Amino acid sequence: MSASARLRSAFANTLAGLRGSPVTSAIAAATIGVCLLLTGAFGLLVANMEAILARFGEELHVVAYLEPELEQARLDALMERALAQPGVETVEYVSAEEAADRFRATQPERAVLLEGLEENPLPASVELRLAADQRSGSAVRAVTESLRALPGVAEIGTGNEWIEGYAQAVALIRSVGLAIGAVLALATLLIVANTIRLSIYARRDEIDILRLVGASRTYVAAPFLLEGLIEGLAGGAMGLVLLWSAWSGLAPMLSGGLTLLIGDTTPQFLSLGGCAWLVGAGALLGLAGSAAALLQSRERSQ
Amino acid sequence: MSEASAGHASGGGLVRLFHVTKSYLPGTHALRDVSLELAKGEFVFLTGPSGAGKSTLMRLMFGAEQPSEGQILVLGRNVARLGPAGLPALRRRIGVVFQDFKLLTRRTVEDNVGVALDVIGVPPRDRKARVFAMLKRVGLHHRRHHLPLTLSGGEQQRLAIARALVGEPELLLADEPTGNLDPQLTLEIMDLIADAAARGTAVFVATHDHALVSRYAKRLVRLEGGGIAHDGAPPR
Repeated sequence: MSASARLRSAFANTLAGLRGSPVTSAIAAATIGVCLLLTGAFGLLVANMEAILARFGEELHVVAYLEPELEQARLDALMERALAQPGVETVEYVSAEEAADRFRATQPERAVLLEGLEENPLPASVELRLAADQRSGSAVRAVTESLRALPGVAEIGTGNEWIEGYAQAVALIRSVGLAIGAVLALATLLIVANTIRLSIYARRDEIDILRLVGASRTYVAAPFLLEGLIEGLAGGAMGLVLLWSAWSGLAPMLSGGLTLLIGDTTPQFLSLGGCAWLVGAGALLGLAGSAAALLQSRERSQ
Repeated sequence: MSEASAGHASGGGLVRLFHVTKSYLPGTHALRDVSLELAKGEFVFLTGPSGAGKSTLMRLMFGAEQPSEGQILVLGRNVARLGPAGLPALRRRIGVVFQDFKLLTRRTVEDNVGVALDVIGVPPRDRKARVFAMLKRVGLHHRRHHLPLTLSGGEQQRLAIARALVGEPELLLADEPTGNLDPQLTLEIMDLIADAAARGTAVFVATHDHALVSRYAKRLVRLEGGGIAHDGAPPR
């Protein structure tokens, strides 16, 4: 029998199994759906918190104040070497005039301080922004140290003392996200394995008969594994639809609250890849649950 | 066991039992020191009172149970030493008719027979033709799309026989294969089984039906109290 014929036969047996126990199959799919709804909701929370933190992170920069009257050639060389520093993503030159304009724009109530002066007191500078994965205290210190050694740099300023807190917050959110995600995945796996074990228990006579007529382990196991996969896919899709429905209802309220707290913010739903991941996780959980239940049933029958 | 194994100890046996004992509880024996041999194409009847050990002997032959003592060689394989893949491989060469039929109740009549071909790897096109031909031989071709529980007891029994024979096994073990059939169907089914034996399948039929034994048996094994009381031509 060819591999495709075996697969067809396994699919036929799987469909027969699903038709034969629709309630058990629906319970297994719904269980996966609800567990993935919880996991997905937590994933959404973590992703949006990370996005908010990333927004703060974009404001993180290191400023190299330049010596007065720096020639263009030395400035070009300095910018080139600054951009070459590990972790530096962009380098922007801010002239003394631009610095004064920014001061007036950002602090209009103090703009009067610049009036009446014969000379612009603000120095030209080079602003460096760090790559997202380099936004930590140690990375900022490393960049600061290497900039200090460059010719033409008079002073270094970061003004980002909150960087350590930011990095810790990101690490905390990620760690908590991973830990809770792992616990939810394990709980889902156990629930799914138990649900599918019920399905196997309901069909133990069929399994015994197949073994008595000489069916190989693969022949017996394949329909159950496929069944778990299909139930997992259905559960994943169900979880995604539930998550989207809940999101559609809650997102406007959430958006309003966040805007009030931290400025204009639109929470984002899962990306296309995230949606695929959720459904794929459902399929994987269904498959793993079936495999675990089959192993357990085999151990008991030996 | 004065008559036991007389004339059946040739070296080419498909099934060979050497001093097999089976105990479920200490001090009791379901089977005691049973030795016998079945050759290719041999048609052997197994009789004995209820509790004599007929079903136990059958179950030992297809590896559903392990002997407490002794050795069992089936189709050249020591049943007690088969690995996880060895037992299914051996069972694929054996057709078994169970006393309680053991049908797949959620699959159609066609699929119940087809499963015996699926496990030996018969391609789908051949499977369909062979299943139909076998169902026609047992008179169930018109019910091939029905579920087993919609069949009568006799039809279920014929279905079990069809599943056991469709793969053209080297050994057929049948536990009361005609218990639910009327006399006419019994003869038709026994002719089918005799035909399999004529084509080389070794057949071992457990029955209480003396009429069958006197009509078909050339060799009879009689069990009493777990031991072989007679092995040879049926007494006239």
